[in-house]
Amino acid sequence: MAIKKIAFIVEKLPYKSETSRLALTHAIASQTVEIHLEDGDNVEPVLAFVGDGVLNCLKNQKALEVYGVSSLEAHVKNALLLDLRVLVCKEDLEGFGLTEDSIVMDAEEIGGEVTTQVVPYEEIQQDLESADHLMFF
Amino acid sequence: MRLAVFVSEYREPEMLERLKAEKLGIVLVQNGVYHAALKKDGNVSPVLSKDVEYYALSEDLQSRGFSDSDVVDSKVKVINYDGLVDLIFNDYEKTIWL
Amino acid sequence: MGKITIGCFSSLVGSMSLDFAIKFSDAAVKKGHEVDLWLSGNGTMLGKKGQGKFRDYSYLMDTVMELINSGKFKITNCEACAKARGITREDTVEGFGVASMDWYLASAFSTDRILHIGGE
Repeated sequence: MAIKKIAFIVEKLPYKSETSRLALTHAIASQTVEIHLEDGDNVEPVLAFVGDGVLNCLKNQKALEVYGVSSLEAHVKNALLLDLRVLVCKEDLEGFGLTEDSIVMDAEEIGGEVTTQVVPYEEIQQDLESADHLMFF
Repeated sequence: MRLAVFVSEYREPEMLERLKAEKLGIVLVQNGVYHAALKKDGNVSPVLSKDVEYYALSEDLQSRGFSDSDVVDSKVKVINYDGLVDLIFNDYEKTIWL
Repeated sequence: MGKITIGCFSSLVGSMSLDFAIKFSDAAVKKGHEVDLWLSGNGTMLGKKGQGKFRDYSYLMDTVMELINSGKFKITNCEACAKARGITREDTVEGFGVASMDWYLASAFSTDRILHIGGE
């Protein structure tokens, strides 16, 4: 019985490349990884947005209408729906003049119970320390 | 933690300033080796200004027209792929590719 | 001897990261380590059959085949990323696995080291 913690750190902007979306989809894949593992073993993901990456969490993205692709906003909501720990760097958010009102903080309308946590970078650094592995997108 | 940070581009990655680790190593690969091999306007790259371990990949220096001895700062250790494999397995436990 | 899991999300043409991932894998396998290589995003290009060998582009297939034959190297394409690029299982070089993203996380669960190389 073991749990391996993986930190997914997202620094890239959405849409120019698919990197930040792949961070979300890989983190969400932790929900089905059990089928490959022994009983009781599992992967615990933590998803952290830093630098320009915090802009993936902005509300009111119309990517589905414009590009015909799921928005990063929708992916963040899915992550929250699946109870993933979602962290957004407070200093970086404030650096863009943004607040919690500007970003996806919950997924209540689809039944999500956990909320996004806006935290100082120092707290994200602690997650990097406690993670078994890092995936920096 | 013992963290190896790969720098693969010739720009100063923003995250580099933030990452902290008990043992931090910066591995210059691909276009990141220009940090090791060039001074710009007479100055050594700011990427080399930290008090950490530095490594540059020999094959990537050579492919870009530099020899191992062209490295501008003596704190940068030039290693090959074999050395890099040993480094990752023996000296560091986590990696980040910037 | 240990195991390293490498994720490479960069393309074969337009980036040298796949070149790095294969050379690193080769050095690791020759030292007796095991390597799992996960290809996602544009990295899935590496598994496409019928790649041409031109001097102006990185060609890695000979080394990839040697690595596969070593028995210490597993290489797997992200199914969705490959399909989105028109690369089906039939289009994929023999010896490559095709799987969903949880393959990468399962490999990460049991590995000693992760080297995650993000996309462009």
